[in-house]
Amino acid sequence: MATPDTLARPEEPLIAGHFSAVADRLPGRGLGWLERQREQARADFRRLGIPTTKHEEWRYTPLRDFSSIDFAPRAIACDVPELASHPIYGIEAFRLVFKNGVYDPDGGLGECPMGVRVLRLADALAQEDPLVRDHLGQYAKAHEHPFVALNTALFEDGVVVHVSRNAVVETPIHLVFASKTSHAPFAAHPRVLIVVEPGAEATVLESHLGFGGVYLSNPVVEVIVGENAKLEHTKLQDESLEAYHIATIDGLQGSDSVYTSNSVQYGAKLGRTDLNVFLNGQNVECWLNGVYVGMGSQLLDNHTRLDHAQPNGNSFEVYKGILDERSNGVFNGKIYVHQDAQKTDAKQTNQALLLSRNATIETKPQLEIYADDVKCTHGATVGQLDAESTFYLRSRGIPEATAKSLLTYAFASEVLERIGNEAVREITERMLYAKLGGGFPA
Amino acid sequence: MLDIRNLHAKVEDREILRGIDLKVNAGEVHAIMGPNGSGKSTLAQVLAGRDTYEVTGGEILLDGKDLLEMEPEVRAAEGLFLAFQYPVEIHGVSNTYFLRAALNAIRKYRGEPELSAGKFLGYIKEKIQLLGLTPDMLTRAVNEGFSGGEKKRNEIFQMAVLEPRLCVLDETDSGLDIDALKVVANGVNALRSPERAMIVVTHYQRLLNYIVPDFVHVLVNGRIVRSGGKELALALEEQGYGEIEELAGASA
Repeated sequence: MATPDTLARPEEPLIAGHFSAVADRLPGRGLGWLERQREQARADFRRLGIPTTKHEEWRYTPLRDFSSIDFAPRAIACDVPELASHPIYGIEAFRLVFKNGVYDPDGGLGECPMGVRVLRLADALAQEDPLVRDHLGQYAKAHEHPFVALNTALFEDGVVVHVSRNAVVETPIHLVFASKTSHAPFAAHPRVLIVVEPGAEATVLESHLGFGGVYLSNPVVEVIVGENAKLEHTKLQDESLEAYHIATIDGLQGSDSVYTSNSVQYGAKLGRTDLNVFLNGQNVECWLNGVYVGMGSQLLDNHTRLDHAQPNGNSFEVYKGILDERSNGVFNGKIYVHQDAQKTDAKQTNQALLLSRNATIETKPQLEIYADDVKCTHGATVGQLDAESTFYLRSRGIPEATAKSLLTYAFASEVLERIGNEAVREITERMLYAKLGGGFPA
Repeated sequence: MLDIRNLHAKVEDREILRGIDLKVNAGEVHAIMGPNGSGKSTLAQVLAGRDTYEVTGGEILLDGKDLLEMEPEVRAAEGLFLAFQYPVEIHGVSNTYFLRAALNAIRKYRGEPELSAGKFLGYIKEKIQLLGLTPDMLTRAVNEGFSGGEKKRNEIFQMAVLEPRLCVLDETDSGLDIDALKVVANGVNALRSPERAMIVVTHYQRLLNYIVPDFVHVLVNGRIVRSGGKELALALEEQGYGEIEELAGASA
């Protein structure tokens, strides 16, 4: 756990200046419960500070450069014309769009499907929606994580997705966070709350798309999957290659529920995701599928934590990373099996493909098991492309570069294949082709 | 078509091929036989361009062009095909996708237009019957979870699709039962033609009952120690390699 390190942090981080800069425009002013959360979060952030590499959880993810950037508390309005032609708009979905953290009333497409309420967080707060009061801030841990604290103190908007009991919502709910700046760097802290009531089923797609410029996107997503409910939650991170994407997802699962998290990461100069799921019921199924591709000097860091708190829980986690050029990957996968969680079956795999001598991966599985009748496995492999496979393809006439992209693509596609929604799967696959430089027929 | 002159090759510091001379003309089928470790598979891999083997001397000409100067993919585009002894499993790439990428790369090299997905599908449907492949093998990942027999049939199927001029079959019979062997041999025989040459590398004479060669060469200790007609294979079957190895030892 991160502990404050006052020696390494002699001054207050620049970004703490945002607390007073935005105070009078934050939504939900006058809501006592929220004001108390925000105040606590400000104190938490001041106590925790921006972590240094002396913090165990940030050991391989230096934020030195980040700390010195003077982010503006809000972006200067910036048009993002590229967004409308983005392939992801080909997905039939009900869509809510934010540009540089600000809701775009013209961005939405489609009709809100039956059985689900999708609303702007700012509106939900203005209406004093009881769902928000009951859930917001109950799962994300501002007192442990400085960026969750920042988000809690500073979020201006976001989304509430509320799927009604027993509703089966086929149409994906698509949350788009587009960012672009040609001016000063800015910071945005979108906040999302997803509540899937018992017996319901839904698909949520969260897209973070960057179109150039330096900025911080610091989303916090809280997910509650009720008893016997099913949620497929796909997150696509394709931020600008100069941007910082520091994200937290905190999930809570009820008995007999199924939660599938697909995390696809192609963008950001520094991308960090903390994904925590608490399996708080019996017979829970949890799937964590991750693909990340780093080029240039990108750093992509995934910290996952699964808490098996009750008996008969199954979790399957597969993260695959492709790291080329000077890029760095970090994977830290914690599985915590509580004393009551007998008959837990947890399987974790992390594989990294290093395509260059200068690419690195730090991978660390962490199993903490306090129950005696459990099955937990983990495996980490780091490797290069198989020479024999490359030769096999070349011997059939496929040029070397194409053979290598094909094998690299195949390595990651095993994870993308697991995405249940076909349209989402195809788009992420096409984007993977593009990211890897294509070079072979689609 | 193929002219191998005084070929020497080594792996790490071990010399495996010690001066191979072999001429293969269009329309001919040559069998290369020999005991384990004689260099048969090395010769096949060197022809295809596997870089774990270092050629230390001699030359290989394919229709007068220097084969050793070519990358493996160029050799394939020039019409050489190696049916692997151990075909590689490639996860995540379907057989169809793989073969279309290969065929189109070769067509592009030759300045021919690429085949669309639709045209390609029509083209391979003709070929698929040749090997008795089931259509599901086309949609499955390359060799993944294939039985030994399926893998070998898939090699010959690829050969049928790519239509090479020079086919090198590396121990295609190994690990096959007699029924699978017949299927594979029938596929190979269907591809015999006056324009196409074949080099069949095998340890056992058995395969040559089904793929009848025009010439048989015996490779021992990195050299061809004897050449003859198909009857040489039968003689070897009776006598074993022992006598011929002694002979080679005496002359070395």
